[in-house]
Parts: sequence; structure tokens; C-alpha cells
Amino acid sequence: MEFRDNKAIYLQIAEYVCEHILLEKWQSDHKIPSVRELAVALEVNPNTVMRTYELLQNKNIINNKRGIGFFVADEAIANIKSYRKAQFMDEELPPVFRNIYLLNIDFEELQTRYNTFVKENF
Amino acid sequence: MIKIDNLNFSYSKHRVLFKNISMQLSNGHIYGLLGKNGAGKSTLLKNLAGLVYAQSGKIDVLGFDPADRQPAMLQQLCFIPEEFHLPAIKIDSYVKANAPFYPNFNHQYFADLLKEFDIPVAQKLIDMSYGQKKKVIISFGLATNAKLVIMDEPTNGLDIPSKAQFRKIMASALTEDRCIIISTHQVRDLDNLIDTVIMLDENKIALKASVEEITNKLCFKRLKEIDETVIYAEPSLAGYHAVLANYHQEDSKLDMELLFNAVLAEKNKLKPIFN
Amino acid sequence: MNNTFNLHRFNLLLKRQWLEFGKIFLITLVVAVGVFVAFYGFTLFPLEGPISARRLNFREPLFIGFGFLFISVIASSYFAHLGQKSKAVIDLMIPASTFEKFLTGVFFTSILSILSFILLFSVTDWAFITYIQAQFKTVSSDHTEPIAYFFTKNKVSAFAPLYIVPFTVTSIFLLGSIYFNRFHYIKTAISVMIFSGIWSYIVVKATEKLLAGKMPINNTGNNGKNSMEWLIFAILSALTLVVWVITYVRLKEKEV
Repeated sequence: MEFRDNKAIYLQIAEYVCEHILLEKWQSDHKIPSVRELAVALEVNPNTVMRTYELLQNKNIINNKRGIGFFVADEAIANIKSYRKAQFMDEELPPVFRNIYLLNIDFEELQTRYNTFVKENF
Repeated sequence: MIKIDNLNFSYSKHRVLFKNISMQLSNGHIYGLLGKNGAGKSTLLKNLAGLVYAQSGKIDVLGFDPADRQPAMLQQLCFIPEEFHLPAIKIDSYVKANAPFYPNFNHQYFADLLKEFDIPVAQKLIDMSYGQKKKVIISFGLATNAKLVIMDEPTNGLDIPSKAQFRKIMASALTEDRCIIISTHQVRDLDNLIDTVIMLDENKIALKASVEEITNKLCFKRLKEIDETVIYAEPSLAGYHAVLANYHQEDSKLDMELLFNAVLAEKNKLKPIFN
Repeated sequence: MNNTFNLHRFNLLLKRQWLEFGKIFLITLVVAVGVFVAFYGFTLFPLEGPISARRLNFREPLFIGFGFLFISVIASSYFAHLGQKSKAVIDLMIPASTFEKFLTGVFFTSILSILSFILLFSVTDWAFITYIQAQFKTVSSDHTEPIAYFFTKNKVSAFAPLYIVPFTVTSIFLLGSIYFNRFHYIKTAISVMIFSGIWSYIVVKATEKLLAGKMPINNTGNNGKNSMEWLIFAILSALTLVVWVITYVRLKEKEV
């Protein structure tokens, strides 16, 4: 996995895990790689992966069955979406808003653009 | 696991390396030891292994004074020097002669590591390249299941695929009861592997902090322009790579090279942040 | 766990050290065999004329001179590699105590080397003398009578200090091998010469001073030979022990 420069590694690993769950490579109630396995696969410190797993546990995306390992939580996909949404709103949207403001872009124009985009892509 | 108290070390009156160094290292971590050439990285590691003797101060390694070189400590210690010489024998004979000294030596693990590193097992050690020999002693050292693993510039001499193998092996070698210390000046090889940074500069420990603590306190960013909130910055193609105090609780990725240069250049600004 | 001496660990260490040191040892041994064969061979061939005891006069100088060379060369190579950091690190990190590492050195240099030299020499000598006696008995038994086996001819009880000398020699060269980082043999030899030169000078001068204007009054001819012998024996033993202790301390304080 190629890490980007602009985001903490443990968050990039969280995205990686979420991606796998969203794409249903790792399905609900299935065991996911252990901390060690994922650390080896990604060539990172196991403590970093542990930090990722703790974060994902707090967001109820995965859960820890003691002695067995980590599993995809029942509501994982919904929780990922809300986690991603919060992230998008907090981190990615402000710069966009800044540009909208600076460039005087009209909300109606955006709405039309958005509708076309959805129509073309989904 | 390791406790250093007021360590003073010098090779001669004119070559003082450490002045009153104190620190503690615990298990379950991979420590990255950084410093300029001649800052004393290797010497600090040798002090921990009992290969050199300090003028004053106390070192406790796994409950032993390393200077005593007691077998009970040496069994739990894996030291990979930067330069080493292996006898002109085959790997089998080397293992037969040396492994019995280590009560926890794991032959299967050793075989797995050699396989992972792609080492031709039947070849004589003397006919191997430096990089191959290095992989052999790293494999041997890890297979001893030593509690303390000390590596001096382990990625020197490793080719590009071996570096990736090395990172995988180290990621799996870190267990909760193990302490790993790696000195390096090629931080890009290892920066995702290290969880705590120790930096030596001017006879002192200039910085000792976990990656988490560093990124909590500092923010590493690309900026178009720099202002007074920037602690240290380096010009790049698109503006600057900058280190700032992390006022907005941003989770940035630690840029170890940038941090290294920042510590060297802006000691006074960084000190209050980390104390 | 005993951190000073453990028989199992010592045993492992002997095996481990043999892997590398054994090569030097065996090569030296092969050279020794060559030298023996050369000396005896030159005496035996051509096989004509009477073989007299005089023609075999080289045996004592060979035993002493070459014996000295053999054990000193082996002793001065034992710790020689510790002069190179890259080799020393690996050895110092082996989980055995300094005492065991030292004792292994003493075993190889002072016990194995001396024993193997004596064994090799006596076997060669025995073989050649047996051969000579068998060859010439048929011709004339007069000349073969004095040609006895080396250790029958030279009574071992001759001079007590002889027993300790090999140990003194090996201990000094073993110390030299850890004391110097390079050119161990030559440096040790020169140090011994300088040291013994100074020592003899002091002894001679001191004796002159002490005995000036005096003469012996109780001259019985045998000036206490026996007690002198044992005194020298005691001094050499003490010297050997001291040199071993210094070697141990050097090993303990070795830094890389």
C-alpha cells in the first residue's frame, strides 16, 4: 500500500479497512486480519495498526471478540458512512466552501452540476 | 526494560559524546535512534550492549549491568552491528555452533526468515555479499527470540526488495515483551516502522517522543506561504514543507526527515513544546 | 543460572571456537608434521654409512626450538581477531561468561597445543627411530645401541622448571594476542626481549652491587641446586599465573 504524505498513517489504514468493508471484501461478522497480519502486510508498526483498530472500535465499525480477534461489526457499513460523512463535513468541505465564497459561485449552479454528475456516474 | 541514569561517555577529553544522558525504554516499542554522523548513535547502542564502558552513570538492561557481560543478559540480547565478520562456514554449521547458547532459539522461525529473505542456504557465509550476510545475522538474531533487539543501521547494504522484506519481518517481530532499537540515517526506509523517535544532538537527547505525541503537538504540512506560526520550513516545488505547532488538533503524517532538520535548526522553539 | 562458569556452556564454547580457531591450529599442525619429516628425512637419506647417535643430534634443538615456535605461534593467534572490531563484536556478544571465554583460550593454547606438539613429536620420533633400528640391526648392532627413543634418552626429571616453561611461553603470547591489535607475534617477541633485557640488566647490576668485595665461604660445589630449581619453578609458575590474570582482565575490559 502506498501511503500519502498528507494524512496520519493510522487514519490512512482506517480508510483502507473501511474501503475493504464497503467493497464487502471483508463482510459483516467476519474476522478481519489481526493487528500483526495487517502490520506485516502494510509494513508498519503494529502499534499504529492497534491505534487504527481502537479508533474503528470506537466508531463501532469493528469489534473485538476477546481471544479470537477483530470482527466486522453488524452495523459497520452504516457506521462507516456516518464516520466518512463527519470526516467529509469537517475536513474536506471547508476548503470547498472557501473556494465557493472566494469565487462567488452560485448555489443553484452547483445544484445543477451536482444533478448532472449523479446522473452520469450512478 | 532499559534505564539509563546520568550517563557520561567520551572517547577522549576532546571527544565527549554524552553528557548526563538519562532515559527509559520499555517493551512493545520500536525505537528509532536518529542523529547526525558522529552524534554517538552507535556508541549509545554499544553502551546498552556492554561493548564499551562509560565514564560514569548507570545503565540497567533487563535487570543487568551490561558492562558485566553476563550470559543471562547476553542470551536475551540481539545486537546487529553495522560492520561484522562471519566465519568461513556454512549456515548450518554456524547455527549448530551458535544457536545452543540461546535457550529460546527457534529453528523453524530461522528457516522461515531465511526463506523470506531469499538466502541460498547451502552457500558458505564467506561467499555471500554484505547484504546477504546482514540478512543472515538479522535472521539469526531474531530467531534467538531475544527480548532486546538492537540494530545499528540494519538497512545499510540491503537492496530495495530486501528493505520491504525487512520492514515486514520487523513488523512481525515486535511483540509485547520485546524492545527493538534501530539506529538509522535513512529514515525513509523505516519511518512507518518506528513508533518512538530518539534524537541525539550535542551530547544530549534532543528529543524522545512517540510518533503519536509528536503529531499531537506538531503538524506537518505543505504551505504556499510561511508565517510566524511556522516553526521550521523547507522550500519545495509547490511552496514549503513546514512544521507548525498543532493548534487545530490536525492529524498529520509525521515527516521524519523534516522533524530531524527542525530539531537541529530550531532546538529552542521545540524544547518548550515537548516539556 | 551460574553466570561465571557452567560446564555445558564451556563445552559449547569449545566447540564454537574450534570452528574458526581449529583451522589455524590444524594448518600449524600440518606445517609441524612437514618440518619433522624434513629434518628426519634429511638425516635418513641417503641410507648409507653408519647411523651414529651424532647424526641424530638435531632432535633436542628441534624439540625445543620448534616446540617454542609452534606453541607461541598458536598462542599469539588465539585472541588476535579481537583486534578487529567487526570480529570482536560477534565474539563478545556470545552468551558465555568472560571467564569461560578466557578458559577456552587457555585450553586451546596451553593444553591442546602443548599436548599435540608432544604427541606429534614423539610419534614421529618413535616411527623414525624404530625404522632406523630395524634397518641397521642386521648390519651392526653397535651403532644402534645409543640411538634411543627421545623420551627414554632425555630423562624427563632432568630440570623441574622445564615443565612450567611451555605454560609461561603460551601465557605470554596469549596475552600478546589480546594486548596488541596488530602484528601480535612480533610485538610480543620484541616486548619480551626488551623486558627480559631490562630485567637481566637489573639482576646483574644488583648482584654486582650486593656481592662487591665479598666471597663465598661455604662453597660445597653444589650451590643448593635443588632449591634453586624449585625457586625458578615457583617464579615461573607465579609469572604464568600473573600473565593469565592480566589476560583475563584485558578480555573483561575489551571494548569495541
